[in-house]
Amino acid sequence: MPVDLDHERISALLPHRHPMLLVDRVEAAVPGESLEAIKTISASEPCYAGATGFDYPAGLLIESFGQAAALLWLISNPSAAGGLPMFAAARDCRIEARVRPGDVVRHLVRLEQVIDGAAFASGESRVGPRRVAAFASLMAVIKPSK
Amino acid sequence: MSQSSERFEQLREIVAEVLELEPEEVADGGDFVEEYDADSLRAIEILARIEKTWKVEIPQAELNEMRNLKAVYEVVARYAGWEE
Repeated sequence: MPVDLDHERISALLPHRHPMLLVDRVEAAVPGESLEAIKTISASEPCYAGATGFDYPAGLLIESFGQAAALLWLISNPSAAGGLPMFAAARDCRIEARVRPGDVVRHLVRLEQVIDGAAFASGESRVGPRRVAAFASLMAVIKPSK
Repeated sequence: MSQSSERFEQLREIVAEVLELEPEEVADGGDFVEEYDADSLRAIEILARIEKTWKVEIPQAELNEMRNLKAVYEVVARYAGWEE
């Protein structure tokens, strides 16, 4: 079942809020398998306040990919919704190219495994046809709501 | 190298990578929690890597037993049907 999520649905699923909600739109998703999400980089982002360089920070790019992975997990496992997804580990993540204001980043996420309340995802981020980051393994856990 | 010692070394590499150690630093009987500061998340990560590498399913109840490399090998051998 393909899924398309606008920003309203995204903020209903993720606990993150402005300025740390770093996924703008989900364009395609197959629950349990994969998801494609968009994050548009703007020069008005808080991370550029007073900045002299305009490379989008790697930490925020990884966080954005992680939020896309969390969305995939949450739509794959509705019983997890309501709990708090927490980023646990990232392995072998490579930033391969700069991301600058005006770029539209597309995260391609695959859900690899779910074990004992922990999810593992992998994938890559692209700007146009070019890969800007590769993620070998991201791990997240759900903290139950109670 | 026999097949079992090859698998043992492959396991040592997986454990070392997750615990952020060199393979030679992971002793056969070294306790992950006591000696290498592992926590439950690291244990789940090791389990996930093993399941993926050997396409085997290990019940999470076995996690308690997987406290050192030798114990991990024994659990995996049991579920993957490796000959001793």
